Amino acid sequence: MSASLAPECNEVKERYDSCFLKWYSEKYLRGTAKTDECEPLFKQYKTCLSKALKERGIDQMLEEARADNKENDAEYLKPSIR
Amino acid sequence: MVKVYSSNYSYDYGFSAVSLAYFLRYPNPYARHVASTDTISRSYDPVTQRLTTVRLHLKRSRLPPAVLKVLPKSSVGASSDGSTQSFILEKSVVDVKEGWMETESRNIDWSNVLSVIERQTYRRPALANPTADEITAFQRDGTIKVQDDDRTDVAVSVTLKSRIGEQLRKRRQRWGEQAGATSVIGAGEEEPAVKQGWFSSWSSSAIRSAVESISLQRTEKSQPKAQKGMSVVLSRLRHGGIQEVLEGMRHDREVEL
Repeated sequence: MSASLAPECNEVKERYDSCFLKWYSEKYLRGTAKTDECEPLFKQYKTCLSKALKERGIDQMLEEARADNKENDAEYLKPSIR
Repeated sequence: MVKVYSSNYSYDYGFSAVSLAYFLRYPNPYARHVASTDTISRSYDPVTQRLTTVRLHLKRSRLPPAVLKVLPKSSVGASSDGSTQSFILEKSVVDVKEGWMETESRNIDWSNVLSVIERQTYRRPALANPTADEITAFQRDGTIKVQDDDRTDVAVSVTLKSRIGEQLRKRRQRWGEQAGATSVIGAGEEEPAVKQGWFSSWSSSAIRSAVESISLQRTEKSQPKAQKGMSVVLSRLRHGGIQEVLEGMRHDREVEL
């Protein structure tokens, strides 16, 4: 499995990833998925990851990137001045 | 100015296998520089059967010497040999009913130097509608039987846009001259901090154009590698299912260490 950027989240990430891969291949791709069965595990993983992102200042970078993308996308759509 | 790379090709594997391989593609022998992959959010809509995923990849890379040369020193956060890391935000939507997957990846740091947006569309060929074969292709042990005539079409586009110098202009607009006098991030050394004359704006745009050209050459080399990486993952899936892919990943990581 791919590693988490936060080593302390590797264990819970691996549990979630295993669950997801099983659900994706056995239910989702067969068109029989009713709900995302791995959501409880994802919540645990997310709790760990959110903390790690915050500690490393990456959460802010993510937010800025999303805001900046919106701004830039709007700029692309503007007619060229020249 | 913007530079665009685009390409169309197909994999000799069904859509199910390709979409699964997409989620399992890092690390692979052609992408050992991907240090980590985390899922930031995931949502499944049971009505449309669409699955939306946002992931964050951390890639270690080395800036090409040519890029290091043209970049203003103030904008390079890398060590002197150009080794650096960058975060890539990837969003994907899979529609299993209609048989397509759309992805968009962009760098979220370094974007003051260069913004790279990669978009991919994976599509089940129109004639091969979701067949019973494909639906039963996944066996209980996770191995996949794929029909030889299975195919998935891929369209890729990569948009490269350098923003060197823009950051400073934006900041000036927001905060006026004060910011111009203090902030040099993203500005060329040739660019006077206070007033931007005709010459300095030309030189910024020349740098942008050079960065975009070099990056386009890089993209032309890296895209076939990305394709090969996917093929390795797909072939592992075919031979030994998810288990073999995971074992392969372990091996690929150990080789790097």
